Amino acid sequence: MSSHPATLPADARLHIEAGHSWAKLPIVAFVVGVAGIAGTFALGMGNTKQLYHSWLVALLYFLSLALGSLFFVLIQFLAKAGWSVVVRRIAENLAAPVPIFALLFVPILMGMHDLYHWTHADAVAHDELLQGKSSFLNNGFFIVRAVVYFAVWSFLATWYRRQSVAQDQTGDHAYTRRMTMASAPGVAAFALSITFAAFDWAMSLDPHWYSTMWGVWYFSGAILSAFALITVFTLRLQGAGLLRGVVNGEHYHDLGKLVFAFTVFWAYISFSQYFLIWYANIPEETSYFAHRMGNSWESVGILLMVGHFAVPFLFMMPRTIKRNPATLFLGACWVLLMHYVDIYYAVMPNLHHEGVRFAATDALAFLGVGGVYLGLALMMMRKGALVPVKDPRLPESLAFQNV
Amino acid sequence: MATTVYTEADQLEERLDQRAPLVLGGNDFHSVTELVARPIDRPGNMWWPAFLVSLTLLGVYGVAVAYLVWEGVGIWGLNNPVDWGWAIVNFVFWVGIGHAGTLISAILFLFRQKWRTGINRAAEAMTLFAVACALSFPTIHVGRVWLLYWVFPIPNQMAAWPNFRSPLLWDVFAVSIYGTVSLLFWYTGLIPDLATMRDRAKGALARKLYGFFALGWRGSQRHWQNYESAYLILAGVSTPLVLSVHTIVSFDFAVSQIPGWHTTIFPPYFVAGAIFSGFGMVLTLLIPSRIIFGLKDLITVRHIENMAKICLLTGTMVGYAYAMEFFIAWYSGNPYESFAFFNRAFGPYSWAYWTMISCNVISPQFFWFKKLRTNPLFVFIISIFINIGMWFERFVIAVTSLATDFLPSSWDYYSPTIWDVASFIGSFGLFFTLFTLFVRFVPMVAIAEVKTVMPQADPHHHPAAASKHGATVAARGGAH
Repeated sequence: MSSHPATLPADARLHIEAGHSWAKLPIVAFVVGVAGIAGTFALGMGNTKQLYHSWLVALLYFLSLALGSLFFVLIQFLAKAGWSVVVRRIAENLAAPVPIFALLFVPILMGMHDLYHWTHADAVAHDELLQGKSSFLNNGFFIVRAVVYFAVWSFLATWYRRQSVAQDQTGDHAYTRRMTMASAPGVAAFALSITFAAFDWAMSLDPHWYSTMWGVWYFSGAILSAFALITVFTLRLQGAGLLRGVVNGEHYHDLGKLVFAFTVFWAYISFSQYFLIWYANIPEETSYFAHRMGNSWESVGILLMVGHFAVPFLFMMPRTIKRNPATLFLGACWVLLMHYVDIYYAVMPNLHHEGVRFAATDALAFLGVGGVYLGLALMMMRKGALVPVKDPRLPESLAFQNV
Repeated sequence: MATTVYTEADQLEERLDQRAPLVLGGNDFHSVTELVARPIDRPGNMWWPAFLVSLTLLGVYGVAVAYLVWEGVGIWGLNNPVDWGWAIVNFVFWVGIGHAGTLISAILFLFRQKWRTGINRAAEAMTLFAVACALSFPTIHVGRVWLLYWVFPIPNQMAAWPNFRSPLLWDVFAVSIYGTVSLLFWYTGLIPDLATMRDRAKGALARKLYGFFALGWRGSQRHWQNYESAYLILAGVSTPLVLSVHTIVSFDFAVSQIPGWHTTIFPPYFVAGAIFSGFGMVLTLLIPSRIIFGLKDLITVRHIENMAKICLLTGTMVGYAYAMEFFIAWYSGNPYESFAFFNRAFGPYSWAYWTMISCNVISPQFFWFKKLRTNPLFVFIISIFINIGMWFERFVIAVTSLATDFLPSSWDYYSPTIWDVASFIGSFGLFFTLFTLFVRFVPMVAIAEVKTVMPQADPHHHPAAASKHGATVAARGGAH
């Protein structure tokens, strides 16, 4: 095993300079994003129920990537991790666009009536269960909560990136200390906000149904796909000639291990939720899976078992897969695809009880939300170095070995 | 040759450009061996009293079990709705404690937490003893203990099989596999240290016995290579096992339809609680042990602080689960579910519920403050609260939901008898007897592993040149 020097190589390219192939990417992403949004609304206005459901899937998907990245940053400080410093800035850049989701959330507010049954006053008037929940599930409080979630996430994502970038100038250890101090309360605030956001935006689509595991389920998908997304970005940046001699097989090995481990975590959470509901067989709980069985959604469920668990579990297990850029890239992209299927499977059966019905707006909303989010993330990457160059633990990360 | 002397202040200094030292004092490889072997060479005058007290408690357990076998489970406080009392509570309590050891040795190993080397041996031993205590309760609670073999799917002429759909049967497999793998893991880690004990043994019998168990270890390159691979594989295998055991235990409750038992968050919530209680017990055992056996240089305040942080994290996760249960009980609109939780907090068992909340959720919050979590006495006191709280958690779960079930006409209040108390207290006798024997005969710190995280283990280490602030990151080990 070769040993890696603990200093940044003199010829390492740490900036996306003007003229580099990645310099144009934000514009490309924004064009795709704006076109996607325009297309979604142009095509979707005829069927607003479909439009808003498509939008919600795209929003929950890309938001989970940003939130997962934010959580990645938080735990690196909480655990005082050394190995991950070379990839942390990429995660910071992927988390930093979180505030834009407050804007992308506006269509959800516009479509509340189409999305959420509990907003129908006439339905609530005849439904004792919904009346009981109305102190929680009502338009005003729903919006207030959304404002709180976005405030918490935006503050954390923006603050962490700012602190980290500021440290690039001075190398002052006080930045690291402050970020470490903030990470523990940050994780607590993050946990509560992501849980209730998942309850509000996804679980309340079927307002009669409930599961204490729901928040953990959304979190498990978010953190898994964030590991995959960070891996994909690091690999592509390196493919474009950046970060050479900075990120190496040791770091990829660790990222691959995390993708592997959290594939199992996602499966553990999803299985536990399904299994306990199936075993107890209580009608008010089984309704969730009853909608998803006996029609084409059942195939999607099986696809998740195989594609979201068995395939990445077996594929990501060998050491060589995780240390080979090509195979790791494949595995990470696959996980990102399956995470979309997982979110789709959670949301769409509420609209299409009869079975899977793809709509053009699904694809357009994906491009729209994804284009705007990734465009902003790519813009962040252009601003400043791609590595926290003066982080006190950078030497440890550069010299890091899997032993 | 001068050795750098690290102090507690160096360790708690929190430098960001290098990792804190894990072994304090001016220790070198030889002195670490001597330090760990000393309690075995000269047990001191505390050992016999501790052993005798433990043995007496074990005797109490023996009497309680003997009377139980003679008379039947009627001697316990079980009544009609509460047909699952302290036996299941004690079982889950002990199994939970049995999680810390393998978590430390497997999961912290995979996460490269080098500070685990100071505490993993004792924690793993504690795990095995806790699992032994845990297994004793399902064994005795069947009443006719001579028919215990019925829990195993053994082909028999009556064609009577255990119910494969029952999580209680899965428990048999889950706990016994976990116990077996934990034992293998512990023993694998012990082999180099047993060889050390063999080589320095003065008596012929000791040399024979240590030699027998050391399996001919000579510390050759090939031995170490096999050892390292075995250790990594066992860590990989143990990691899902740590999670699976308490997941299956949570299924014992959660697959039912009983309000307060059936909720989807149970598996990860139980696992978090198990780790919480396990670390609580590790702290309870090691804070006095490090003083009694003079191991303060190896089991340092930094180790205690890290464990306190894990307690804060897992205690708060348990608090999150309590909150989710409570919120969803209300949100579900299910009157039985809401009643179960309202009844827990304000019903006849509210004293137990609030004991649980205070001990499990509130008491670890003190660990937000560095001053408190680096004060061993304070951490010790909180660890006792954690032990109490986690026992009460299982009591609250098992008993409150049963005592007030769907039919108000069958409600009854559960009170333990003297025999319930005797078997619970007595099980501590089993636990501490095994633990005192362990510290008497087995190196309670992993000698070989601790040496790997000392500066001297670095091939580039120059004793003369090494100064506190000049040492490289790699050379100073890594306390996170």
